[in-house]
Amino acid sequence: MDITILGQQLLGYIPLGDIVLYLAPLNLFMFASTLAFTTIIAISKTETQVEADFGTLKDKEVKVDQKEFKIRRFLAIVCGLATAGAMITGDLFNFILFVCLIGIVNIGIVAAVKQVDVLDAAFQYGLVAMIAVLPLFGGAAMILASAGTISLLEIVNIPTTFMMLFGSLLLFIGVAGETGVAPFYATKAEMFRTPGSPFLLIIHLSSLLVIVRVIEILLIINKPF
Amino acid sequence: MSRIGRLWNSLATPKRIPRFYSVILGILLLAGFIVPMALNDHQLYPRPEPQLQVSEKDPLAPYDRGGIPLKEPGIVRSQYPQFSEKAGMVTSYMSPIAIGVSNTTPYYGTSIYSSPGGLIDEILYYSRGFDTILESSILMMAFVVASWVALNFTMRRREEE
Amino acid sequence: MSASLIIPTLVSPVVVSLFVPAIFTGLIVGLIGLMAIAYQKNDLSALILTDIVGIGMLILVAAVGTDLAEALILPGLVVELAEILAISEILMSREMKKKGKSAELIPLPLSMDMEVMTTAPTFLAIILIAYGAFLSGFTGGAVAGGGILVYVLSKRMRGVPADTWEGIAGVSGIAWCLWLVGFLLFFVFPQYWLLALFLAAFGIFIKVAFKAGLIGVIGREEFSKK
Repeated sequence: MDITILGQQLLGYIPLGDIVLYLAPLNLFMFASTLAFTTIIAISKTETQVEADFGTLKDKEVKVDQKEFKIRRFLAIVCGLATAGAMITGDLFNFILFVCLIGIVNIGIVAAVKQVDVLDAAFQYGLVAMIAVLPLFGGAAMILASAGTISLLEIVNIPTTFMMLFGSLLLFIGVAGETGVAPFYATKAEMFRTPGSPFLLIIHLSSLLVIVRVIEILLIINKPF
Repeated sequence: MSRIGRLWNSLATPKRIPRFYSVILGILLLAGFIVPMALNDHQLYPRPEPQLQVSEKDPLAPYDRGGIPLKEPGIVRSQYPQFSEKAGMVTSYMSPIAIGVSNTTPYYGTSIYSSPGGLIDEILYYSRGFDTILESSILMMAFVVASWVALNFTMRRREEE
Repeated sequence: MSASLIIPTLVSPVVVSLFVPAIFTGLIVGLIGLMAIAYQKNDLSALILTDIVGIGMLILVAAVGTDLAEALILPGLVVELAEILAISEILMSREMKKKGKSAELIPLPLSMDMEVMTTAPTFLAIILIAYGAFLSGFTGGAVAGGGILVYVLSKRMRGVPADTWEGIAGVSGIAWCLWLVGFLLFFVFPQYWLLALFLAAFGIFIKVAFKAGLIGVIGREEFSKK
């Protein structure tokens, strides 16, 4: 296959049946940086937060105990791998499943905290993630119905219809909900308060990279240029 | 200006986010009623007309896609036939037990009996196998999260030991 | 060869003509769910209402009406179920922390001390597991898992070692690995597709069965507390 996607020459592809992962310079760069960051997270230790009270000298240390540390590290690594996979997948439906995996793992990373506020934010984020299943899968189904395929390498050559435009709008709002970007950031901002960096940073990194990737996919589908 | 400020402030409350999100999504879905829609009839993995196989009393209805087990592949129109060289073999395969059961009943295809092989296995395990890996990873992660929370918090098992 | 075996190159006109009504149904179902979520005030009902939104999604996918769409419904359904599973547990944990009270994991209106559960668990479990193995695949896993569930739930009367959890979880993990090996075999050595198919089909059987078993272990721990 000799295909140019968004002006980039494909360096290669990994065929897995109908699902073809493609390696273009931008995607490879994002893939490598996600993997590097995941490795750093996997070998690092958690921070310790200090809660200070006004008017007293009693500072309280908030630590993450061993069991919690282990499950969080596991989920953070899974999140990193899912983000890396979402960067190079060449199939629309496969990308959506990667985004859903990132969403559920993000909820899991903060599920172990003891603060009620944070748990509440995680629950609300989970609700948004569940509602986002409709636009994500629905948008992909619209694109499939209109284009007849969900492989990005084929969609590149298919002229865009209004239905594909509508499908990609649905897809975008779905990813916005699942990754919690503005204006739906409040649930995620609350989740960052919990102790347990650097595992929490992977939540941030994954949503940034997924947004970059979904914009690339929308450009591929809609061909504005 | 103050009104916009109040709007931003209300967006900072996590409890309002699901409602806000569902209102925005609802407006977008309403737009779906005026978008011109039509199904492109050039689809991957097309299937015969609904009820056609059922009315022909085919025991494998509605999943009969032809082929002879272990010999001849069934008919599948996958996206990249060049990447799945044994395409159709899984579709046509039936285990000996499955052949036995399908000889006794005309409703084999719609029973809960799922032998290894068949059309859905072909798509789920072979041509779109990576999707199934991801799908069950999602289920596994959800199970890990739920059981971890249950074992450590909701059941209070640790405190008892 | 009968006429039914001719697979058309184009989607049949019946499905094409049904597409727009199906999409509209999906959109309406989704809108009903979203409006309900926007109106309600209770967190638990919001969680239950998201299921309606999920059904809308399933209708949108099913509207395409090809074999591919049928295969794509399964991931959608599983994602929906998985998220409900995790989020409801978080909701429970939050409510318990807020109120400082604990609740039963499986609140049953009647006591589980039925005679069947002490006299015949082994028999029931063997029947269910054998039938599940005969069915194989995902449904078989669910049936056999029901057998393990019954066995583990009732065995508490005689006492099961406390490390059953780790044991069953370990077997489930091994089945998972078998399953992945099956998938890889499909792509790396397509000539062994039959072996790969059996690894995949029985891997998912063992996996689903033991997942249900794990739920049973949690349930037993819960009951034996009393």
